[in-house]
Amino acid sequence: MRNVHVVGVGYTRIGEHWDESLTELMAEASLAAIEDAGVERVDGVYVASTFCEVTNNQAGISALIAEALGLRSVYGVRVEGGESSGMMALMEAYAAVASGLVDFALVVGGEKLSDLLPDEFNSVHSMTLPYDSMGFAGVTPASIAALLYRAYLERYEIPQEFIAQFPVLMHNNAEGISHAQFPFKVKLEDVLGSPEVAPPLRRLECFAPCDGAAAVIFASEDSQTKRSSGQTVRIGGISMKTDYVSPFDREDPLFMTSVALSVDEALLRSGISRGELDVLEVHDSYSIVAPLILESGGFSSRGESCPDLKMSKYALEGELPINTFGGLKARGHPLGATALYQVAEVYLQLTGRAGKRQIDGARAGAAISVSGFGTIAGTAVMLSGEGE
Amino acid sequence: MRFNFRPQSHWRFKRFRYRTEVLRCASCGTVNVTPRPVCRRCRSRNLLREELPERGRLVAFTVVKSPTEEHKELAPYIVGLVEFEDGTRVVTQITDSDPEELRTGMTVERVVRKITHDGDSGIIVYGFKFRPLVS
Repeated sequence: MRNVHVVGVGYTRIGEHWDESLTELMAEASLAAIEDAGVERVDGVYVASTFCEVTNNQAGISALIAEALGLRSVYGVRVEGGESSGMMALMEAYAAVASGLVDFALVVGGEKLSDLLPDEFNSVHSMTLPYDSMGFAGVTPASIAALLYRAYLERYEIPQEFIAQFPVLMHNNAEGISHAQFPFKVKLEDVLGSPEVAPPLRRLECFAPCDGAAAVIFASEDSQTKRSSGQTVRIGGISMKTDYVSPFDREDPLFMTSVALSVDEALLRSGISRGELDVLEVHDSYSIVAPLILESGGFSSRGESCPDLKMSKYALEGELPINTFGGLKARGHPLGATALYQVAEVYLQLTGRAGKRQIDGARAGAAISVSGFGTIAGTAVMLSGEGE
Repeated sequence: MRFNFRPQSHWRFKRFRYRTEVLRCASCGTVNVTPRPVCRRCRSRNLLREELPERGRLVAFTVVKSPTEEHKELAPYIVGLVEFEDGTRVVTQITDSDPEELRTGMTVERVVRKITHDGDSGIIVYGFKFRPLVS
């Protein structure tokens, strides 16, 4: 196995791109990443999109993306793994580069959701749940989040304010970030006063439909790039796991085994421990999902993630800053692109390019991507060149 | 999305959707909800068809105020987690009641209700929901 490095990243602003197609958005992000990496060619194109055949009537999209980039006769594949499609594409590209099949891989994720009406978006998003037993009956992802939310509040006997702190932190971190969907602060009372989506879950505790695309270039350690060692980041380890699709079929609905196992395995492959991570990206699709991931991943004890948040453990100046550009809530969650944004942002942190969100001396970081409520989870651990 | 309401693709799930028939593993006892060849827990092929009890306990509930396109006609509607005596849990709509009348822990019973309909000319789709026990 060869070492795999991130040598460049690119992304679009997340929001409503009325005048740009899905292909254009993904091509823009890809070109930015190729330029950032300074590579002459890519020989594998890995496209992540969760819903392109539904939202854009498009199958076989990898060839369209390649053509839009002026690439012909390359290997192109599209990967779909629900909300964690982007991490899955990264994992496939990693395997190809590590094995020697591909030298330079372009991994690009994109989604176009703002054309949909709210109820259409809910129909599409509900496809990430088991359709035959849940989606069919009108069970939505937000309603599952609400049931888990109630169970969490009841078990740990905490008020809703504790969990509603997560979106407040996300908006704090996204303030002034040019690629963020919502680059402004919100107050706790704004979150708690926003309309109910599925009580206790409120609007400002949910990600919002959006468009966006992000790309990452992987290169093998022996491939020549214009990058100096300080500008490349090694993928220390990457791991993905599935689980039973309904959280209520698991031993404990509030524990995501897929997250626990993928974090453990990715760290093991990287040869580092949790305590050595300087920055972490978590999949906060709904406010309640962030604490479940932090506890399942072993970053907080069970029931302690909200008190840890209150004690600033996860703030920019804390022990383990999370979602330094605003996470899914505020930077945005264009499904198939999301893990690419996560990995791109960790890359910016580890190469000292994170601007006013820079975590001083960040040497190691990780991104955790989840589909649904732990149906699939993937973790990528990244190590800066200088830290080795 | 519309493809799912073709009669045949609804009909093949009729045992679960009308009667909550599931597959119980004869080896380890796990309940597998939708049709499959082996038990998800122990991979035994010895799966026996079984109807879940008509009554269960309401563990938690919420109200869907942001529905899907197919279900918006009935919104807002209640979604609840129902647990049966053996510990099996299903997420289902709770019907024939307002949220104010519901309490966690109360007994609920299965009824067949309309789920949605496929436009003006397609099928009307029915399935189970649960309601507070009518004594």
